[in-house]
Amino acid sequence: MKIEIRESQGIQIVAFEGNLDTGTSPEAESKINELIDAGNQKLLVNFEQLNFIASSGLRVLLATVKKLNASGGDLRICSLNAIVQEVFDISGFITILNVKSTEEEALSSF
Amino acid sequence: MTDALKKPVILAVDDTPENLDVVRGILASTYTVKAAVNGPMALKIVEKQPPDLILLDIMMPNMSGYEVCERLKSNPDTSHIPVIFLTAMDQTTDESKGFDLGAADYITKPVNPPILEARVKTHLALKQAMDDLQGAYALIKQQKDRMQEELNVGHTIQMSMLPLEFPAFPEHTEFDLHGLLKPAREVGGDFYDFFMISEDELCLVVGDVSGKGVPAALFMAVTQTMIKTASSGDRSPASIVTRVNDALSSDNPASMFVTLFLAIVDIHTGRVRFCNAGHNPPYIVHPDGSLTCLNQRHGVVMGALPGMAYGEDEIGMAKGDELFIFTDGVTEAMDRDGELFSETRLEKFLSNADCSTSQIMTGSALQAVEEFAIGAEQADDITILAYRLQDSPKIVQSDSLELSLVADIAEIARVQQAVEQFAAQTNTAAGITQKMSIILDELLNNTISYGFEDPKDHEIHVAIELNDDHVSLRISDDGIPFNPFTHSDPDTSLSAEERELGGLGVMLVKNLTNSYAYQRLSDRNVVTLTIKLETKS
Repeated sequence: MKIEIRESQGIQIVAFEGNLDTGTSPEAESKINELIDAGNQKLLVNFEQLNFIASSGLRVLLATVKKLNASGGDLRICSLNAIVQEVFDISGFITILNVKSTEEEALSSF
Repeated sequence: MTDALKKPVILAVDDTPENLDVVRGILASTYTVKAAVNGPMALKIVEKQPPDLILLDIMMPNMSGYEVCERLKSNPDTSHIPVIFLTAMDQTTDESKGFDLGAADYITKPVNPPILEARVKTHLALKQAMDDLQGAYALIKQQKDRMQEELNVGHTIQMSMLPLEFPAFPEHTEFDLHGLLKPAREVGGDFYDFFMISEDELCLVVGDVSGKGVPAALFMAVTQTMIKTASSGDRSPASIVTRVNDALSSDNPASMFVTLFLAIVDIHTGRVRFCNAGHNPPYIVHPDGSLTCLNQRHGVVMGALPGMAYGEDEIGMAKGDELFIFTDGVTEAMDRDGELFSETRLEKFLSNADCSTSQIMTGSALQAVEEFAIGAEQADDITILAYRLQDSPKIVQSDSLELSLVADIAEIARVQQAVEQFAAQTNTAAGITQKMSIILDELLNNTISYGFEDPKDHEIHVAIELNDDHVSLRISDDGIPFNPFTHSDPDTSLSAEERELGGLGVMLVKNLTNSYAYQRLSDRNVVTLTIKLETKS
């Protein structure tokens, strides 16, 4: 898995490529925590290049949104493929996460 | 029965008042003494309130003591009252006449007080004993009638639970099925059942409950219902029997038990998976008359011990094979000399049996047992269930992938790579591959993280089979028995703050597959899942 971090309009964009599963979630979580610990309050997770997400990946997203909500921050997710969309639907994450269809839409929603 | 607190009542009959006074003088301190001065008066008193004993003079005007005695003895209401003749006559012919009429004893006058007291006491005690005996007999008869009634109710419950309509599945030409149960008069509690648990699989059950009457019938009904409930969503005979045994054993104050044979047959491939819990081993009868005895045993009778892990075995059936399941009412049927029908006779019958239909098979088997046991009472229920595979079993063409891994989280990545490679080679759609990857990630992660209690080397097997219209995944491990699908799903309607982290993985697995099942096969957990494929272009 590759994780690319960019910044746009004061928003940290975390773009994943590959699979977010048991093997890769610990790394994803520590990257995101580094950003939050550095004081970043606005995060956009871009799943355009993500192949699939498993429950371990969902846990990272849930922990992240809880942290940001508690500190007055904000998390957006964008560009889900079909299987990621299905997993979000099954798990109910579609209702507890703020999901946008494109990065542009997500950036302008902050 | 005489009230112990009340004095026994003696009726003295004599036409001489002085004689009555003598008797009264001897007995009045111990008994209530009533007196009559002639026969008709005595009969009237007896009719009004029967005494416990009668002292009867023979020589009386109008109606002699003999006649009084004869009348008393011919009336069922008074015949049980002991009569002692009390008379001045002492010829032996008179004595025998008195005894012929049913007198209890004979005392000659003049009366000797201690003898009169002793005889009266003896005969009252005898009468008391007789009354007690009759009371006990009445009670026994009443209980017996009640038991018979209960047995009848039990049979009604038992028979109402059985599927009795044949052909049971006229739409299925792949197989032919017939069951029969001939109840015994007393012992009972057999049952059979069958039902489809999926499009391809039929569940067959034959059981024999210990005991009889209503309790046995209810236990049978409960067992049958539990099996039906447990087999929805569980395709493993071992797992079904294990779970039903736990339920039956946990609340079983009457300590009843049931022997059971449960098979799940694939009506297309001929595959039979079965679990035998203390039941008679069934047979597969092949078209050439040869037999295969399914003599594998997978645990004790059900209902006895909770926490038992039952096993299961698997066997293939070919076209024309007949699976013959029965209860011990067949092999333990006795002839007049007490000889058993036995496995030997059953095997001989099966080898030569007409297997053209299952109904002919069950009917002729019952007939063979009945002919053997002709003239002897049927001691136990006779139950036979026969299943015949009509078509040639379908051989499934498929691509497959098999992997073994050790219990280490890092192994999951290797499995994922192998799956992606397999998917690429077989042109499997991305959506299907992603589903397989997620499922394997979730289940392997669970097993490796929580499935083993000891650090010894464990091997996990993964098998993927790609068929025309579906892909099946099979994951097995030798960890502690654990069915991942029994836990309830997390509540997805909660907010982010309220959501817990657990339970998500299995929920994804359940929702990304078209079917999922857990089995405990001897010492391994086996999870089988299928995903339907979109129609190939």
